[in-house]
Amino acid sequence: MLMISPRMAAGMQEKQYTPSLLNFFIYNPKFGPREGEEEKKILFYHPSEVEKNEKIRNVGLCEAIVQFTRTFCPSKPAKSLHTQKNRQFFFEPEENFWIVMVVRNPMVEKPNKEGKPPTIEYQEEEILDTVYGAVLQQCYSMYKLFNGTFVRAMEAGGVELLTQKLEKFFYRYLQTLHLHSCDLLDVFGGISFFPLDKMTYLKIQSFVNRVEESLRLIKYTAFLYNDQLIWSGLEQEDMRILYKYLTTSLFPRHSEPELAGRDSPLRPEVAGNLLHYGRFLTGPSNLKDPEAKFRFPRIFVNTGDGYEELHLIVYKAMSAAVCFMISASVELSREFCEQLDGLVGPQLTLLASDICEQYNVNRRISGPDKEPQFKFIYFNHMNLAEKSTIHMRKTASVSLTSVHPDLMKILGDINCDFARVDEDEEIIVKAMTDYWVVGKKSDQRELYVILNQKNANLIEVNEEVKRLCATQFNNIFFLD
Amino acid sequence: MQEENEHEPQLVSVTRIKCSEKTLRPTIPCILHFTEVTSVTGLEFLSQPGQEKTIRACYSLAWIIERCLPLKPDTGMEADVHNNSVPLENGNLAPVDRLRRDRSDSPTPGLVEGTEPGAGQDSAMFVHAQSFEDLTADGEQEQEEEVQVPEGGDRSERGPEVEKPRTEGEENEKMQGQPGEEEQEQEEVQSGGGRAKEEDVNSEAWRRHRKHVFVLSEAGKPIYSRYGTEEALSSTMGVMMALVSFVEAGKNVIRSIHAEGYKVVFLRKSPLVLVGVSRTRQSERELTRELLYIYYQIISLLTLTQLNHVFQIKQNYDLRRLLAGSEHLTDNLLRLLDCDPGLFLSAVTCVPLPSSLRDVVSSSLQAAKAKNLVFSILLAGSRLVTLVRKKDQYLHHMDLHLLYNLVGSSSSFREGEGWTPICLPKFNTAGFFHAHISYLEPASDLCLILISTDREDFFTLSDCKRRFLERLRRRSTYQALQEALLAPSYPVSQVGIPELRHFVYKSKSSGLYTSPEIPIPYQSEEEQERLMGLYQYLHSRMHHPTRPLRFIYHCAERENLLSWVTSGFELYLCFSPLGTKALAISAINKLLKWIRKEEDRLFILSPQTY
Repeated sequence: MLMISPRMAAGMQEKQYTPSLLNFFIYNPKFGPREGEEEKKILFYHPSEVEKNEKIRNVGLCEAIVQFTRTFCPSKPAKSLHTQKNRQFFFEPEENFWIVMVVRNPMVEKPNKEGKPPTIEYQEEEILDTVYGAVLQQCYSMYKLFNGTFVRAMEAGGVELLTQKLEKFFYRYLQTLHLHSCDLLDVFGGISFFPLDKMTYLKIQSFVNRVEESLRLIKYTAFLYNDQLIWSGLEQEDMRILYKYLTTSLFPRHSEPELAGRDSPLRPEVAGNLLHYGRFLTGPSNLKDPEAKFRFPRIFVNTGDGYEELHLIVYKAMSAAVCFMISASVELSREFCEQLDGLVGPQLTLLASDICEQYNVNRRISGPDKEPQFKFIYFNHMNLAEKSTIHMRKTASVSLTSVHPDLMKILGDINCDFARVDEDEEIIVKAMTDYWVVGKKSDQRELYVILNQKNANLIEVNEEVKRLCATQFNNIFFLD
Repeated sequence: MQEENEHEPQLVSVTRIKCSEKTLRPTIPCILHFTEVTSVTGLEFLSQPGQEKTIRACYSLAWIIERCLPLKPDTGMEADVHNNSVPLENGNLAPVDRLRRDRSDSPTPGLVEGTEPGAGQDSAMFVHAQSFEDLTADGEQEQEEEVQVPEGGDRSERGPEVEKPRTEGEENEKMQGQPGEEEQEQEEVQSGGGRAKEEDVNSEAWRRHRKHVFVLSEAGKPIYSRYGTEEALSSTMGVMMALVSFVEAGKNVIRSIHAEGYKVVFLRKSPLVLVGVSRTRQSERELTRELLYIYYQIISLLTLTQLNHVFQIKQNYDLRRLLAGSEHLTDNLLRLLDCDPGLFLSAVTCVPLPSSLRDVVSSSLQAAKAKNLVFSILLAGSRLVTLVRKKDQYLHHMDLHLLYNLVGSSSSFREGEGWTPICLPKFNTAGFFHAHISYLEPASDLCLILISTDREDFFTLSDCKRRFLERLRRRSTYQALQEALLAPSYPVSQVGIPELRHFVYKSKSSGLYTSPEIPIPYQSEEEQERLMGLYQYLHSRMHHPTRPLRFIYHCAERENLLSWVTSGFELYLCFSPLGTKALAISAINKLLKWIRKEEDRLFILSPQTY
């Protein structure tokens, strides 16, 4: 992504380039151990048009780096390599399978006098290892969610099947990686929970129970409202990556119909029926279409004994979305989908408007929205709960933050400091721009606050954060 | 280069070095013992009449190659001393009056550089960079200097002198009755063993060392390893070089490798490659700066010009031949980097002294001047008592730290007057200065370093020392100085803030810092290093190259830390974990007032020049 820096005004066309993906490859050193067979190690390489020898060279460097670091710690090899121009991230998700992501450092291109090529300055301190290391792990988790492990593909169809699967998945997935807007939230990979009163929560739970009772095929259910999670029957780690998929990929692709007018052709299904707004986000887009296919995406989740393959049905009515997961061994028919639509559609529509009403009541009580003096990010490692008032909207393409990127990086730095020692800590810093940034770590929770009170002193900042904790997290203890 | 040349360098002069090196083992600087002054070929200057006392002259191998190699770096350097005044980066050579007027009595956050407590009233003594990052930008500069040194032309000019070291070496062999070459080889092995380096480099114990440092040549030849012998590590170092050149082949530069719990940092300083492997919490930048110190340590023994020259002639030269015996300097420097805050603060600390006393010492030193004398430095341990410099010449704190290291790692200077060539790399990487190093008394901590541009100046400087001592004694200052040194530091309790455990305060304009004794909870070596690690962590966050900070308050289970950087000073505080934020704020004010009150004693406010 190219951004023109404000300094260009002076006639000097200075171009600022944000971090971008240079290479992404997957290899297994055991697959071509003999000289001349190195290419066999490479299972996937992006961009694919790179010349063969360069691919081999780049994979060779990674192997060498990993091997070299084993001299100093056999069990914990390299995780990243910093060079002037780029950073490489290494991840071994399964034994001997390595995924490597090469990210180019952000750079500034400064034009020179006539005839000379522009000077390029690499900004080597801008990329945070924790953020991109987490992005790389997410890539694998996402692959695994839809394809299962690498070893599984190897067992099913050998290297050939595995390379096919990798090609098919990563070709598209890498296009959705937006490396310039990754930040602390990628490190947490948390789940945003929808705040709810007990009554409404019970209503939802009883809805889930009723549906699971009537449609015995359903193994797991997850309930979301407004892109926030309310109830999930899945393991936490699986929900984490499924949530990521839903909120950054599936939902943004289907958000238009709700926003479109009632008579819009985009919502043929619901026209004329105010009590039934439900529709499938995966599978058939129109049940009445005689050509409709009843194929749903398959996902792999972790259960007590190994991995389980499931159909993923995502059904949505207004702002409420429900995921139903059914064992992949069952063939899903038109009848089943019609039955589900008939049962869930009206109930979910009613439930969605109940939640909406409740939500508006709560908003009125808490008073009108006025721009607060602070913004914060909260994350709880135990239940993966995440809350951010810094990010305005996280979509598939971009995460919009309301603060300067440097402040986000300071948050990232503080997070790294916390990660180094496993004890409760508090760090308060004042940036050169006079913003105050407060990080607190207590038990398994982390809270980061950015205060825009430039003239405040340490004690006032402390008071402000105390007030924030009292109003937002009144039952959570933070080290004072 | 032919294979057979590997053990017997073709270069005539280098062969000769080898022979002198054997004789002069095991330490650098090497000591020549003379029971009476005789006429030794090549050391004519010692044979002056009337010097009928025992002289121990120290020679480093660097001095010897200086004479062996057909180069004359001195010419370049002497010109430098007189013409190339190093500009002060902050331009704070403001008139004294303005500084005096601006010096506020009470410390306020708005203190600017030059008015903060501890700011020198005349001018700074050091060239000081805002932070260490500035120092890494000197690559181009060095290359320019290289160009300055005439090479081919000097060869013939220096021709006759090339012969000298051989005779000198031979003489010494005779004098000390050195045995033949083979036994020498054995000795070499023993001296290696003396450093307790024989470790199994595949053992877990070797891997667990907190910080490894490796130095290698661009041909991948081992030059130095902190733990384990270079021989055992030669393949590891070969891999390191391979990684460096592989990345360079892609028109890129390798910086570091990060893994869980440790980092590997690469520093490419042609013709050397330095690699650090650290399990500490230090950032990549801090580790790079430490490697830079090691690099300069090597340069200080050889000069960059000669280092380049050696490798130009023979790419796979084994530099350990030239550096043999200097390992303990590097070992000691690495220890210093772990425990002396001055090295990461880019500052120097001084002995607290009443300003009247310090002024007398300074002026005595100032009076004992000589034509080619550039710096006179009086140290007490690793603390500065005073420093007098030639007008317009500034000593870089890094160079001073290298001098500390040289003095601190060799007990030989206690035994007599030392005379050693030394390159001060931040001053000029191309040439040698000549340092006269001696303790005022054998049992005293006071060490005098006189630095001259003339290698024949030994007796002149010896005389300077005599005059300086006479002056001190005449004014009975010596006694007062000795007494003051009984308390070379102060306990933090003097400040009167119970929760304050320790602090470091640096005055930016003077390049000096002050810090109390290490308090009880941090007295063990491990804890002291941990405390320094915490300060380093604060320092690196405050001075981040793209997102620096003004202020940090860090509250954890074992201690609370606070750091604050203004345009005038840097402050790092360590409180007991029970202290509150309100208390920390009031402590800052109290501490700054105390430092202002004590600044006469804690800092050198009126540095002198010749």
